[in-house]
Amino acid sequence: MKKIEPTIIKETLYILVCVVILSVLMEAVFLFIRRWDYTVLLGNLLTGFAVTLNFFLMGLGVQKALGKDEKEAKKIIRLSQVYRYLILIVFLVIGVVFSCFNNWAVFVPVVFPRIAIAIRPLFNKKKGVQEVVGDVVPQESQEETKEQIQENTAQLEQQDVEE
Amino acid sequence: MLELAVGIILGCCALGAGVAMIAGIGPGIGEGNAVAKACEAIGRQPECKGSVTSTMLMGCAVAETTGLYALVIAILLIFVAPNMLVNILLGVIG
Repeated sequence: MKKIEPTIIKETLYILVCVVILSVLMEAVFLFIRRWDYTVLLGNLLTGFAVTLNFFLMGLGVQKALGKDEKEAKKIIRLSQVYRYLILIVFLVIGVVFSCFNNWAVFVPVVFPRIAIAIRPLFNKKKGVQEVVGDVVPQESQEETKEQIQENTAQLEQQDVEE
Repeated sequence: MLELAVGIILGCCALGAGVAMIAGIGPGIGEGNAVAKACEAIGRQPECKGSVTSTMLMGCAVAETTGLYALVIAILLIFVAPNMLVNILLGVIG
């Protein structure tokens, strides 16, 4: 079995933590409006697990696609999406059909990963630019690269003129 | 007459669910394009693999959200809406 990339594990963990925090918030809201019972908790657990699994499987699909050429990568991702949708449909239908799951608690966690991604820039700002961008190229080497590109372009133009 | 009304409700709900799932096509195409371009980018600069993968994962998740909304709407239309609408109809008729 191929080793899972650390980036995928890191991002899935981030999504998992955010889903857990938002789930706790949702439970608190249900408690506040006095609608909380065990069905809310079960529905929340079911869909929270489903969306996190969906994100992890998407990561695995992306990892599998990265080593391939463009057309094959597209096919792999589309196939992965179909399978992930089927898995989600199964979870959501179970949540709706069985009365031991609260309908609201089943559907609301579907948007949690989107919220987690929306609030991500807030955490990245604190870390600083260097960590977010990754390997930042120093200003001097950037200028050197620009000069090299200009030289190469000039050489190519000369070759074209000679031809 | 009542059976006809119930049939129309069920048929429209199923039709609505089918139309909603058209939105599921877009994310698949979008994600495929994003990953294809990421493959190209990693091919050019293999040292950026980590940051490209991370950004692309987040991009794919954002792209997929619309499909998930459509899925939720479709499931609601199939499993929840018919009962509600038939109950409302029966309530109106008395």
